[in-house]
Amino acid sequence: MSTQSSRFEFDPGFEDDRLRVAWYAVVGVLVAVGAYATYLRITGGMATTNLTSIVPWGAWVAFYIYFVGLSAGAFLVSTMANVFEVEGMHRIDRDALFAAIISMAVALLFVWIDLGRMDRMYFPFIWRQLTSALSWEVHAYVAYIGILVTELYFSMRIDLARIAERTSGLRQTFYTALALGRLDTSEGSRSFDQRWLKRAGIVGIPLAIFMVHGGTGVLFAVSKARPYWNSGLFPVIFVISALLSGTALVMVVYVLRTRLFDGDSVDPDLLDRLAQLLIGFIIVDAALTAIETFIAIASVHPHEIETWQVIMYGPMSWSFWWFMVGFSWVFPMVLLTKKAWRRTPSVMVLAGLSVVIGIIAVRFNIVVPAQIMPVMEGLPHGAYFPTLVEWGTSIGMIGVGLLLYTLGAETLPLTPLTGGDH
Amino acid sequence: MSTTDDDTLPGIPNVGKADLDAMVENERPDPREELADVEADTDLGVAMAEDAQRVARGELTGDQYWEKYDEAAADEFGEAYQETPNPAVDAGDQTVSTGTAESLSCAVGSMDTVAAESAQVEGEEPDGGIGAGDEKWGMVIDLQKCVGCDSCTVACKSENRTPPGVSYNVVMEEEHGEFPNVTRTNVPRPCMQCDNPPCVQVCPVSATYKMDDGVVNIDYDRCIGCRYCIIACPYGARYFDFGENYDDEVDEAGELTSPEYGVDRGPREEGKSPIGNVRKCSFCTHRLERGEEPACVETCVGDARNMGDLENPDSDVAQMADSSRAFQLKEDEGTDPNVYYLK
Ligand code: SF4
Ligand code: SF4
Repeated sequence: MSTQSSRFEFDPGFEDDRLRVAWYAVVGVLVAVGAYATYLRITGGMATTNLTSIVPWGAWVAFYIYFVGLSAGAFLVSTMANVFEVEGMHRIDRDALFAAIISMAVALLFVWIDLGRMDRMYFPFIWRQLTSALSWEVHAYVAYIGILVTELYFSMRIDLARIAERTSGLRQTFYTALALGRLDTSEGSRSFDQRWLKRAGIVGIPLAIFMVHGGTGVLFAVSKARPYWNSGLFPVIFVISALLSGTALVMVVYVLRTRLFDGDSVDPDLLDRLAQLLIGFIIVDAALTAIETFIAIASVHPHEIETWQVIMYGPMSWSFWWFMVGFSWVFPMVLLTKKAWRRTPSVMVLAGLSVVIGIIAVRFNIVVPAQIMPVMEGLPHGAYFPTLVEWGTSIGMIGVGLLLYTLGAETLPLTPLTGGDH
Repeated sequence: MSTTDDDTLPGIPNVGKADLDAMVENERPDPREELADVEADTDLGVAMAEDAQRVARGELTGDQYWEKYDEAAADEFGEAYQETPNPAVDAGDQTVSTGTAESLSCAVGSMDTVAAESAQVEGEEPDGGIGAGDEKWGMVIDLQKCVGCDSCTVACKSENRTPPGVSYNVVMEEEHGEFPNVTRTNVPRPCMQCDNPPCVQVCPVSATYKMDDGVVNIDYDRCIGCRYCIIACPYGARYFDFGENYDDEVDEAGELTSPEYGVDRGPREEGKSPIGNVRKCSFCTHRLERGEEPACVETCVGDARNMGDLENPDSDVAQMADSSRAFQLKEDEGTDPNVYYLK
């Protein structure tokens, strides 16, 4: 029995208490800043933003598609374990799913704050429009979150049951409730869970690729009025860059949580595998973006060319060169080339964070530049940089995401109790 | 303004006041000649006109005036007089007091009650409310006649009482060529009321839709303010209402709003639609329903803007839209605008 209980040792949460306090303090500050900014936003209305009728979509929309991308990417990484059963990936299955859920929640917060009428956020479920990509998206997001939660449940249920078995009182009730009362830890119940996990994953893959993230790309691509977005390649690039950011996020989360929460050492083989995936996605993402740029320039459509000029040489070109090219492609690529580095957790965290931050610029460069050029000659050009309120609310909502994630990581068995591959 | 005739203003010819008055008198039509052409009694007309001037000079009160002519007017104009509301009650000096008004044989009421009554008539429309008309409204703008004065933009702003940053109509100005061979084109741009409107296509809550009369409506009570339609409109015709006001420029700027799409929303208030919604030109639907032309058409200095029924082949707009000079903006977008231009 003693071997049994040490095998199922469950002690989630920070290893180091001082780190815990420091981390919650940081997150607390972010949330407090966000709360104040949100207060300003709600009382001052949309006038607190730098948005105009010429550039009606800004930072919030950029962050919204960014988090949708993170979520879809992280989810697809999780399917490698639970659908495609890639060797050695089970360890990060739950990490990926949980990160995907939190990202989606944050994405919806961004959609919400961006509405001119925040009080009418439920209207899309009352009135619909078959031809509206946005109408479809809203429903796809809900279905997708449902799939994610279902998957996480089936992936984690057996461990929840094991914990419930060995705890008592309030904690037992809590974990029993999370397991929805199914406390069977037999082999039979485990394979039942695995089966359903896989089924949910199979439904989730097309949903994530085509509806959730591809669909978000379609949202922009159907805009004939904006030639820069109106391209067939656009939704594809959207999915690839989502995979890129999602993989990077999972890598960062895996290393940090293993080190700081589990106090374990990182599995270098798994890290290497994730790193190689990252290399592949960087190459495809950069190549597709180059092709897209080439098509745009070869089309000699003045609108397209000028938009690319805005991106590459305009006042915000630093975001393209430093963040998009530098942080999301070149810098991580350099770190990823050496095999020894790929097996070094700290270097990979750096590479992962670099991508995760760089892709933010990718999203901004999708949303904003296409609106700078007027839709008709004679109408004014746009200009946009987020206000402090926009930055503050964004930071706050990211803080909420971090808080939710940390709370989850401190209570849930995100690391399989049996140690990895089932 | 000036007290003596000797006061001269720079650039203004020194003409005596009397001369000016004489000029006006010269221009004035002879009352008898004018009234001879109308069916109504000439003597009564002249007498009423003269007394009306007396009221203006303060020699007669409004009450005395109407008491004097009530009977004669009722005889002369019959039903037309009795049923037409006379809004001249208590609207300030020179008007009829409520007491006198009640003794008159015409239907009278204050400005407010008259407005309310006619609004009620609008509300009771048998044909299914706003935008259900048989016409298919279209606008034709003659670019040869447009002088680029922006009167339409101004008329639109005051008619629709749009806030800062919202301008349903703009005049796009383009300069071509190099000095001294410069030409300038002015292209007024309202909402095109497209037959295939991309804005309608993308709205996730069906808050914007096409009405039977061809006008694209926005239901401000349903719009969630996602601004997807702004992104989708190829003409930049949609504007977001950020809630700004002209309060610094005009006192009580938000007291009056326009009954866009036939909905009277009362004074403009924070957090109340259309603040936080997307707005655009409605072809002045509320005016069309009253049988009036849109404000921009009515005001156009060069008579460049025309409004009418595109489905009636005899209408001016249908014929103009059919002419070889006619074109639409961004024809290759497939939006099929109901605003045509003549080149
Ligand atoms: S001009 Fe723009 S706003 Fe007007 S109907 Fe066409 S797409 Fe819609
Ligand atoms: S802003 Fe309003 S009208 Fe425009 S698409 Fe969104 S909900 Fe529809």
